[in-house]
Amino acid sequence: MADPKDFEKEALGHLNGLYRAALAMTGRRDRADDLVQSTYLKALKRFDSFTPGSNCRAWLLAILRNTWLDELRRAGRAGVVVPIEESLLSGPEPVEPTKWTDAEDLLENFSDERVIAALGELGPEQRLTLFLVDVEGLSHEEVAEITGVAVGTVKSRSGRAREKLRERLLDHARQLGLTGGAR
Amino acid sequence: MSHLTDEQFEEILGGTAPADAHLDACPACRRRLADHRAIRGRLREAFASVEAGDGLAERIRAAVRAEAPAPSPRARTVARPAPWRRWPALAAAAMIVLAIGAATLVVTSPEAHAAQRTLAEIHQAAASGEVQFHTTADTTELAEYFRDKLGFTPALPRLGQGMAIRGCCKAHFRGGIVGSYVVDTPKGVISIIVVNDMPASMGMTRRAATGGQEIWAGAFARNQMAAARLNDRSYCAVGEVPWPFLADLLTGLVPHDEQ
Repeated sequence: MADPKDFEKEALGHLNGLYRAALAMTGRRDRADDLVQSTYLKALKRFDSFTPGSNCRAWLLAILRNTWLDELRRAGRAGVVVPIEESLLSGPEPVEPTKWTDAEDLLENFSDERVIAALGELGPEQRLTLFLVDVEGLSHEEVAEITGVAVGTVKSRSGRAREKLRERLLDHARQLGLTGGAR
Repeated sequence: MSHLTDEQFEEILGGTAPADAHLDACPACRRRLADHRAIRGRLREAFASVEAGDGLAERIRAAVRAEAPAPSPRARTVARPAPWRRWPALAAAAMIVLAIGAATLVVTSPEAHAAQRTLAEIHQAAASGEVQFHTTADTTELAEYFRDKLGFTPALPRLGQGMAIRGCCKAHFRGGIVGSYVVDTPKGVISIIVVNDMPASMGMTRRAATGGQEIWAGAFARNQMAAARLNDRSYCAVGEVPWPFLADLLTGLVPHDEQ
């Protein structure tokens, strides 16, 4: 077992980034806390295999992702959502892309919580990919390493996830009467 | 006119590729790019103020230290440098100091210290309502909560005469989930936290045996702690109240159906 002090020194500095990712994944602060703690305990057990000087944040995020997917699988909720959503979205480009009258103005109507909740309505892999690309500003290559897919998949997945998030927010805007059904 | 591919689009958005000439001629792709930029910006903004709660880092540190065994005191004494050997009397004195240090270490080892701190944090979080808390004064409902979430029915203090259950919750303790309930007492608010760990492993010391029951004592910050073994579990009473009160309360715990 690794020395906990070495581990804390190396890994705990990434707590906030990991917590944000966990919140993006779970959508709930209490579950994000639990997920982050499980991630750190798993990481501690594997710390002997971590190469000092390599990308610790990416290493931790990959463990967080796997931990979350395992939890979903155990709960019987993964393995179905992602392929269906992605297959629906992988069709031909829409002839006329959806329109927002003024995207920025419309987005200002949503609280931070609402935006985070809308992200949580995406499939697990889309959610994480979009979070890592857009919020954490990681390169497509880093995200590919974390999520275990090709760089091209990260690019198409993040674009589609953003598209999907936009649709979700537009639906909510309609429900709130913020838009007259424009698409 | 064919629009930009997803890949081209992401590269332009991410700044890893220059804007394509197509964008100049295609209002639809320009609008799409603007929309995606707006969403990216809003998403980033939504998470900008998100930070881990104050207690999370401590909780993780405690869990990490509880998982990983600390170096043994023996290893530390062996590792003392050679110059001590030159002064036998000083070395003997030093050994005594080290022995005392080692004994102290057994009692207040990092894991034990972390355990008592975690108990205090669980109490603090539950009593202040910071955590998801199941509010109920009904002992049957509380017993059901424990049975559903934790698989057992807890023993409870005798209620009435200023003693009332406020509610209960689950918490993390040493990598597992434990249950606790909060009781308002005439001396102040306390938590009873039910864990599987033995009191000694949490750094508590045996202090009194009342009515044949052994009670252990501990403390963290302003919190006093008493622990008793019941049905193969440790019931830890935690609160800013005098220790004898906590000990008496533990000796009076009864099964839920005897309320």
